[in-house]
Amino acid sequence: MKLLKLSERLGLVSYRNQAKSDIKPHIVVDTDICNSTCPHKATTYVCPANCYTMDEDGQVHFQVEDCIECGTCMYACDQGAVEWNYPDPEIGRGVTWNFG
Amino acid sequence: MDEKFDCIIVGAGVAGLAAAMILARNNMKFLLIEKGEFAGSKNVSGGVLWGSDLARLVPEYWQEEDGGWERFINHRRLTFLDEQSAFSIDFKSSHFNETPYSGVVVLRSKFDRWLAEKVQNAIDESDFAMESFIATNIKVDEVLMENDKAVGIRTGEEEFSADSVIIAEGVNNLLTRQVGLQNDYVPADHILTGIKEVIRFDQKVLEDRFQLNGLSGMSNEFVGYATDGVEGGGFLYTNRDTISLGLVAGIKDMREKEKSPHDLLNNFKMHPVIKDILQDGEIVEYSAHAVSSGDKRVMPREVYKDGVLLCGEAANLLMNAGKAIQGMDYAMRSGILAAETIVEAKEQADYSSQTLKQYKQKLQGSYVMKDINSFQDAVHMLHNPTMYQDMPNLICDFGRKFFTIDNEPTKKSRNLLSESVKKHSSYWDLMKIGFKGAKSL
Repeated sequence: MKLLKLSERLGLVSYRNQAKSDIKPHIVVDTDICNSTCPHKATTYVCPANCYTMDEDGQVHFQVEDCIECGTCMYACDQGAVEWNYPDPEIGRGVTWNFG
Repeated sequence: MDEKFDCIIVGAGVAGLAAAMILARNNMKFLLIEKGEFAGSKNVSGGVLWGSDLARLVPEYWQEEDGGWERFINHRRLTFLDEQSAFSIDFKSSHFNETPYSGVVVLRSKFDRWLAEKVQNAIDESDFAMESFIATNIKVDEVLMENDKAVGIRTGEEEFSADSVIIAEGVNNLLTRQVGLQNDYVPADHILTGIKEVIRFDQKVLEDRFQLNGLSGMSNEFVGYATDGVEGGGFLYTNRDTISLGLVAGIKDMREKEKSPHDLLNNFKMHPVIKDILQDGEIVEYSAHAVSSGDKRVMPREVYKDGVLLCGEAANLLMNAGKAIQGMDYAMRSGILAAETIVEAKEQADYSSQTLKQYKQKLQGSYVMKDINSFQDAVHMLHNPTMYQDMPNLICDFGRKFFTIDNEPTKKSRNLLSESVKKHSSYWDLMKIGFKGAKSL
């Protein structure tokens, strides 16, 4: 059986309000903390949806579009950089599982 | 809607729906709020719903041609993995074919939606058919408190008032934290990430591969190589024409060992034994969700306060003590007990913690807290590297030697075991584990 890349896996997820270009992010990350004092930058590898990425210069970036609301980052970040909430049903993103 | 409800339930998962069913049957006026498009749309589990409580909520659910559940479990397997081998304890019995079943596999997007329909039927038959509601697409922003007693909820600008609030919001329990029953920051120590793929097969292929008959199904848990040295384990459950294959992996351990859950899952799928199981499957969904470990240290300070009750994973009611991963059954029972407490509170016209503490007593007296309390040592033991790393290696090493026939003089099993023990652990470690194990199980 073929293994899927993460992007292919996320391609199977149904997101809400996909047609809307301007969504309200349900998670706010203070990447200044990630990029100054955080010793591990763990969100860049523990997030199952790869919402946290590290660029060539080692800088952490966050995007909410692929978030599957699992909660992992809220626990993994012990630096107080992640302000976590559920997406707004009308103007947020988030998931609708087909199987769950 | 400015009228007051007897109760507002936040979250239409297993706990919230179970509570709603009991409230409807007892002619209570309530509001069940779900943030997803429909009940179950944001819910993920492994997942087997263990035990027979479902039959209390939906009597003879097995009679229904196309019910919300996938398969009943009559085949259990626990597998120890090293890099190349799998050593299983396997038990199948026609005893488990009898109803009520002792476990059914579910896919939450379908199961919760089905259960919500049953709840709606119960509402329709209640005295408050027109005044109790299941409301979807609404996110609760706040539990409204007056003098430290819950009086309703707020969503955006809108407020709904109620005599009581059942918080059944799941493991990412923001409202539980807001009402002060848990700290704002919950550390990663006792929280794991569950990650899974739903993999589709030709139904005939699936039934042949797992020797399924009719709607019978198999549950398989995995320890060892499955998580590549990270605290946790793997699971495989058979659905109608798909399987749920996944892992749970400790978040703190992944942080320290710099592991990604999606890499771990691919690693697990590449194991030679798992690879054979998955031949010709097609991945139809990838999902993940945080899950608590069953360690009491992560649980909220209390499961009630004035006007508030906590159910299911919001109260971190989950446990894996080696026999099964139990969470949905705890959610169901706690939802039932919470609703029964609310019914009594209404009779007494007193929703203060004085009455609501009955819920805690019911929970403590039920198998949920009895098991969580008596198997804490087992939970700690399973989260010890000797158990999820050395032990599976040792068992597989012994298995390989025991089952190898190579036209050389055969060593006695005792000597083979001794070799494997020395290679992967020590008698001293094993004695410690054996002693702890005997005590904890």
